[in-house]
Amino acid sequence: MNTLLKVEKISVSFDGFKAINSLSYSIGKNELKAIIGPNGAGKTTFMDIITGQTKPDEGKVLFGERSVWLESDQKYQVVWDENLLMKSESQIALLGIGRKFQRPTVFELKTVFENLFISMKKNRNPFSVLFQKLNRDEKNLIEKILGEISLKNEQDRIAGELSHGQKQWLEIGMLLTQEPKLLLIDEPAAGMTSNERRQTVEILKKLSADKSVIVVEHDMEFVKDLECEVTVLHEGSILSEGSIEHVSSNNEVIEVYLGR
Amino acid sequence: MTNSINDLLARHTLIFTIVVVIFSLFITFFSEPYGNGLISTSFVKTLGKTVCLCIIALAMDVVWGYCGILSLGHFAFFGLGGYMIGMWLMYERTAIIVQEAATNELLPLTETELSNAIGNQIFGVVGGYDIPSIWMFADSLGLQLILVITVPGILAFIFGWLAFRSRVTGVYLSILTQALTLALSLYLFQNDSGLRGNNGLSGLQNIPGIEYLGQEVISIGFFWASCVFLISIFLLFHSLMKSKFGLIITSIRDNETRVRFLGYNVEIYKLFIFVLTAIISSIAGALYYPQAGIINPAELAPIASIYLAVWVAIGGRGKLYGAIIGAAFVSLFSSWFTGGQAPNIPLGIFTIEWVNWWTVLLGFGFVIITIFSENGIIGFLRNIFVKEK
Repeated sequence: MNTLLKVEKISVSFDGFKAINSLSYSIGKNELKAIIGPNGAGKTTFMDIITGQTKPDEGKVLFGERSVWLESDQKYQVVWDENLLMKSESQIALLGIGRKFQRPTVFELKTVFENLFISMKKNRNPFSVLFQKLNRDEKNLIEKILGEISLKNEQDRIAGELSHGQKQWLEIGMLLTQEPKLLLIDEPAAGMTSNERRQTVEILKKLSADKSVIVVEHDMEFVKDLECEVTVLHEGSILSEGSIEHVSSNNEVIEVYLGR
Repeated sequence: MTNSINDLLARHTLIFTIVVVIFSLFITFFSEPYGNGLISTSFVKTLGKTVCLCIIALAMDVVWGYCGILSLGHFAFFGLGGYMIGMWLMYERTAIIVQEAATNELLPLTETELSNAIGNQIFGVVGGYDIPSIWMFADSLGLQLILVITVPGILAFIFGWLAFRSRVTGVYLSILTQALTLALSLYLFQNDSGLRGNNGLSGLQNIPGIEYLGQEVISIGFFWASCVFLISIFLLFHSLMKSKFGLIITSIRDNETRVRFLGYNVEIYKLFIFVLTAIISSIAGALYYPQAGIINPAELAPIASIYLAVWVAIGGRGKLYGAIIGAAFVSLFSSWFTGGQAPNIPLGIFTIEWVNWWTVLLGFGFVIITIFSENGIIGFLRNIFVKEK
């Protein structure tokens, strides 16, 4: 199977505190995975590293595996398209990694439609942006995404007026208009009503049909509903990996996390 | 829905253009050369200068109100524009005077004698007659006009590139821009800066070649040029801020990190706005100083840039007409109070002399307006007249 993102033995420390400790992780194409862990386990730092906001002290972050036929050796060799550690946040975003923040981060003063419009996958060069107009196809795409995130009737509202849950969806919608390959979603269910949670689970499952999705959560129930492989983080390294039944029966996991 | 909003905005620019044109015609028909002289030439100059200040206020509003960069250095670019055009004005006029004086001589002046005579006239006050090398294009209006654009443009580019690339934001960036302004001003104060030290450049109101027209006509010309430039810049900024580009600029103001994670190179956008507004400020300065007649390094002092921010805050930032109202309102009041025309208020033992007390009044006004209306005068008026939702 093709791996989309591979993280190898990364470590990072802040003022002597090891936030991430020799962590390795990978996700395949169109796979949905969840990461759970108690506060301070390093979940957000892990996302910061992938998206380029934090540079790790050691380790590798590779993106986009490909097999190349080597004529000389008569065999396939695995090559990685991009080394993410050499790139800035905006370059990483352009490669197709979208990130949803823990707190819903939308442009509060702009309408829902405008929020999606500026997220749209297009040339990001300022001189090109100067002359970009919304065409019919793009308008249709935005309409389609508005339907997916259940905000069709809110498209002309100012984003700041939306409910907390609707803002979360809008942010997911903004990621979708970017047409990413990998979505990093930080605590999507935080502050949602149970009804909104159910809808969010549906949205995330639908997304993984043609995208890789990593969901970071600390709500066990929500992760259970996602029905996917779960990784438990603790003090910057992986404690357990597998199905939700598998990890929740692990004694260590129960001790550090569920037991609380 | 979005269409009706666009229509309204399109009408805004139309209304603005009509208002400025009517205002310009009105002033012209009451001026000395083209009307009954009810409006004096010096007042026409004051108005023309005010229009130039409105232009730089527009630039400040775009860089601060729209893009969120509180630059305390844009008046330095304004001053640089003045210096660049001032070099040509002063050199050319001096050259004409020197050549006229030389027609009475028996022998025609050699190249060196002419150059020394011009140098002596211009740089005598700082003790010298060598023409510094930065004046090498001063005999060409075209080249100096190019310098009006390129010098502040390149300075803003280098400064902005270094500052934005290092992710300097907020108050730290403001301090850096202020330091830039102060450094530039202090440099120009030196006699060997090549720009006549604290004497600055003077006699700029005499435009070489068209002096015979007289100040009454020239002042109307500059007034009209300033108004036309104001309208063009208003239209430019309006369409720019209404476009997708403008959406991204205001998004950078509201949440820079989000824009970065959407894949936009925030630094390039900031740099674009910083350089564009610096160049427009410079052109505004190049229109202002021929009307003012004199420029010296004190004009570039940091306080001028702070006043600029105050105008925009008082008028209402984030709205183009807010910047214009703020700049026009405060600078006209300022010249009324500091010009000694405002009646002093005797309080028995103490008399309030507005020449000294104007800044106190301005300070109070600034505090009161920002407390009661976050968006300045414009926000205040909108609260009264526009009942939204």
